[in-house]
Amino acid sequence: MKLIYTILLSTCLALAAQAQTKISGSVKDDKGEVVPGANILIKDSYDGTSSGIEGKFSFVSEESGSRILEVTFVGYKTFSQSVQLSGNEIQIQVILKEEINQLDGVVISAGSFTAGEEKRRTILKAIDIATTAGATADIAGALNTLPGTTKVGESGRLFVRGGDGSETRTFIDGMVVLDAYAPSAPNTPSRGRFLPFMFKGTSFSTGGYSAEYGQALSSALVLNSKDIAEMNQTDIGILSVGADVAHTQVWDRASVSGKVQYTNIRPYFGLINQVIDWKTPPVSLESSAAYRQKIGKDGMFKFFGNFNQTSFSLFNHDILDPSIKQQLDQNNYYRYGNGTYQQSLGANWSIRGGLSYSFNQNKLKLDGSPLSETEQGLHAKVVAEHSVSDQLEVRFGSEFYDRNYEATRYNSITDTNESLTFHEPISATFAEAEYYANNHFVVKAGGRLEANGLSNYASFDPRVSLAYKPGKEGQFSFAYGTFRQSPQNQYVRIDDQLNPEKAEHFIVNYQIITNRKTFRVETYYKKYDQLIKFENGNPTLLTNSGTGFAKGFELFWRDNETIKNADYWISYSYLDTKRDYLNFPAAATPSFASAHNFSFVYKHFLTALKMQLGFTYSYSSGRTYYNPNRSSDQFNADKTPAYQDLSANVAYLPKSNLIIYLSCTNLLGHDNIFGYQYSSVPDAQGVYASRATRQAAPRFLFIGVFITISKNKSVNQLPNL
Amino acid sequence: MKTIILFFGVIISISTFASDEKYFAQMGKQVQAVYTAKTIDEYQVAVNAFDRIASAEKTKWEPFYYSGFGNIMMAIAEMEGSKKDSYLDLALTAIEKGKQLVPEESELVALEGFVHMIRVTVDPATRGQKFSGLSMQTFSKAIGMNPKNPRALSLLAQMQLGTARFFNQPPTEACETARKAAAIFESAAESENPLAPRWGKEMNLGVLQNCK
Repeated sequence: MKLIYTILLSTCLALAAQAQTKISGSVKDDKGEVVPGANILIKDSYDGTSSGIEGKFSFVSEESGSRILEVTFVGYKTFSQSVQLSGNEIQIQVILKEEINQLDGVVISAGSFTAGEEKRRTILKAIDIATTAGATADIAGALNTLPGTTKVGESGRLFVRGGDGSETRTFIDGMVVLDAYAPSAPNTPSRGRFLPFMFKGTSFSTGGYSAEYGQALSSALVLNSKDIAEMNQTDIGILSVGADVAHTQVWDRASVSGKVQYTNIRPYFGLINQVIDWKTPPVSLESSAAYRQKIGKDGMFKFFGNFNQTSFSLFNHDILDPSIKQQLDQNNYYRYGNGTYQQSLGANWSIRGGLSYSFNQNKLKLDGSPLSETEQGLHAKVVAEHSVSDQLEVRFGSEFYDRNYEATRYNSITDTNESLTFHEPISATFAEAEYYANNHFVVKAGGRLEANGLSNYASFDPRVSLAYKPGKEGQFSFAYGTFRQSPQNQYVRIDDQLNPEKAEHFIVNYQIITNRKTFRVETYYKKYDQLIKFENGNPTLLTNSGTGFAKGFELFWRDNETIKNADYWISYSYLDTKRDYLNFPAAATPSFASAHNFSFVYKHFLTALKMQLGFTYSYSSGRTYYNPNRSSDQFNADKTPAYQDLSANVAYLPKSNLIIYLSCTNLLGHDNIFGYQYSSVPDAQGVYASRATRQAAPRFLFIGVFITISKNKSVNQLPNL
Repeated sequence: MKTIILFFGVIISISTFASDEKYFAQMGKQVQAVYTAKTIDEYQVAVNAFDRIASAEKTKWEPFYYSGFGNIMMAIAEMEGSKKDSYLDLALTAIEKGKQLVPEESELVALEGFVHMIRVTVDPATRGQKFSGLSMQTFSKAIGMNPKNPRALSLLAQMQLGTARFFNQPPTEACETARKAAAIFESAAESENPLAPRWGKEMNLGVLQNCK
C-alpha cells in the first residue's frame, strides 16, 4: 500500500514539475510587413502572448509534449504549426497569409450596379432608390438615373445600352418575373409592380451578368427580398391618389407581412388637366404578402405573392380628324407568386431552389369589340454552391421555364373568336466558377446551355468576367458574354419556329470607391444578331436575319462627403447604336435610343428642420422618329427636341413615426416630346398628318402622409418612400 | 481502496481548484487591462489574452464576453469603416460562442445590442434604420432577462437619447432609463461573480448630463 502511495505521489509531483519551454520569433505577413498585435498561443492552454511593435514575440510555456501553436490576427488566415515542448527553446518565423476579403477585396464590377444595405462598397443603396426625386419610389425610376440607361419618358421601363424595354428582365430571389410593369395607358409611363422597400438588395446589371440569368438580352435586374422582419409594425399611408395599409407580424423564427393598396387617380385628374381624354382614369387594387420561415439550423423558406387589378377607359382620337374617336377599355389582372428555399449542407455546400408563377391578363375592348391577351409562366430552378476553398467557389444549377400564351379577338365579319397561342418550354443548365487568386485578382467563368422546346433550338452561351485591383481603392474590370432571349410574344405567336435573339457584350470598366466617394467609367461594345426582321417589310413573314450594334461609354460620380449633410451623384452615358430589324429598310437608330443621357441627383438633409430635400435633373438628347412624308432612305432621320426634367421632393418628419411627403415632377414645365405619330393614310394633299407624343400632364404632383405604429417609436417609413 | 479513491478525489479537486484559481487570477488581471486600455494596441493585447483563456477554458463565458467587449472598444477607436466592421464581426463571433454556453445571460445579450449600436456609426444614413431598431430591441431583450442589468439600461438610454435628439424632442424617456441604471450602479448590487461586468457607470453619467 505504501508503495502505491509513493508511486502515486511521485507521479503527481512529476506532473506538477512542468518543463518550461521558451518560444520566440516574429510575425510578418506575406508581403514581408511586420504584424504587431497578433495573438500567439499554445492551443487549449493559457500560454501565449501578443506580438510587439516590431512583430516580435517571446513567451514561456509550461505545457509539455506535442502541442499546436496558433497565430491569429484580424484579416489573416490562422497560422498553425505543431511544436514539441521539451524545455528546448523554439524559434519560429511566422508568415500570415491574407484572408480573402469579400468586402474590401477585389469584386467584379463590369456592367453591374449593386445596391444593398449591408455592404459598404456598393454604389447605390436601397434607401437611395427610395429617396430619389422624380422616381416616385419606383425602382426603375431611380435606376434610370444611373449610367447605361436611356430615358424613354413615355414608357417608364429600363432601356439599357441600345436595348428596348423588353430586353431587361426582372428576377426576385433568382426567380423570373414576367410582366414586371403595371399596365398604363398608351404613351404614359408604367410603374414597376414591386416596391423598393421589399428588398434588401438590388443588383442592376447593364451587361455581362452571370450565367445563372438567361432570357435577357441587355440587362438583369436582380432583386433580393428581405429576410425575417425585425419587429411588429403597422404602416398606414394616405396618398393624394389613394391609400395603403401594411402590417408586419414577427415570431421567433418567422414573419409575415401584408399590404393592401388602393389607387384612384380620378380625383387628381379632375383637378389637373390631362392631355389624355380619359373616360375612366386608372383605378387599381393591389395586395401583396410575404412570409418568411427559418427551418432547422440555417434553412430559410420565403414566399412572396402579389395580386393586382387595374382598369381604365379612354378615348383615342384620330390623328387626321380628331373628332373621330375610338374608345379603349382595359382591364388588367395580375398575379405573381414565388417560393424559394435555401439550405446549407455542411460547411462548404449550399443549395437553393424555387418556383415562381406569373399570370398576366389584359382584357381590352376597342369600341366594344373584345380583345384579350393572357400570359402564364412557370419557372423552376435549383442551384448548388460549393466552396472548394476560400479562393474557389463553384456554382451550378438547372432551370425550367414554361410559358403559355393566348391572344384572342372577336372578328365581327365572320362572327367568330380568333385566337393565336403558343406554348414554350425552355430548359437550361449553367455552371460557373469564381476564383480569387488573392485580394487583387478575381476571375469568374461559366457557361449556359439552353434548349427551347418550341423552336427546337439549342444554344451555349459562355460568360467570363474578371477584375484586377492594383492598389487599395481603384480597380479594373472586364466582362464578356453572349446572351439570348426569345422574341417578343407578338412575333412568336405568328411564327413559333423563330430562334432566340442574340446579343454579345464586351465591357471594360474602371472604378474607384473610397469611403464616401465613387468614380466609375465604363465602355462597351454590344453586337446584336438573329433579331426579328420582316421579310420584304411584311410583318407576318418573320425571319431571324436582323442585326445591330450598340457602343458607348459612361461616367458616374457620387460624393456624399464634400457638402455636409448632402449626397449627390452625376451620371452621363453616350450611346451610338444602329439596328437593321423589324420594318427598318436599312440600319438605323431605333426611336428609343438617344445619344446623350445625363442625370444629376441631389439630396440634402436639413437636421434642424427635420426635412429631407431632393432634386433630380435629367437630360436626354433627341430621339429619332420615322416620318412617312420622307423618302425611304431617310428612315428614322428626324429627331425630337431634347428631353429635360427637373423634379423635387420633400420629406418632413415632425415626429419619429410620421412622415409628410411631397413630390413634383417637371417643376419647370418643360414641354417634352417623345416622338410623333402619323396618320395611317395621307390626307387629300398626300401628306401624312402628325401628332406629337407628349407627357400626359406637364407635372405630376404627389402628396402623402405616412404613419407607422410600432412599439419602437424610432421606426418610420422613410426607407419605404 | 477507499483511501485511494479519496486520494484521487482530493487531487482532482485540488487541481480543479488550482485551475480555477489560475482562471480567476488571469481573468482578473486582463479585465483590469481591458478596462484601463486606451489605444487599439492595448485593447488588442487584452483581447488576445481573453482569446487564449477562452481556448483553454471550454466552459467559461466570461473570456468570450470580454473578448467581445474589447473588440467593440477597438471598433469604437478605429476610424476606418471596414476595419470597424471586422472588429464588430469578431465581437459578434465571441458573443455567440458565449451565448452557446449561457443562453440566458443578460450581459451577453446587452453586448450584442452594443455591437448593433456601433454598426450604425459606420454608415448612419443607410444603417440607422435597421441597426438602431435592432440594437434597441436587443437591449430590451437583455433587460427582459435581467431587469437589474444597468449596462443594458444605460445603453438603451443612449439610443433613446439619440432618437430624441434627432427629432428635437426632450430626452424624458432616455433620462428615466438612465436614472434606473444609475440607481443600480449606485446601489452596487453587484453579482457574486467576481468576473461579472462592472463597466458603464461613466457612460451612464454622460447620458445623465443631458437630464436637468
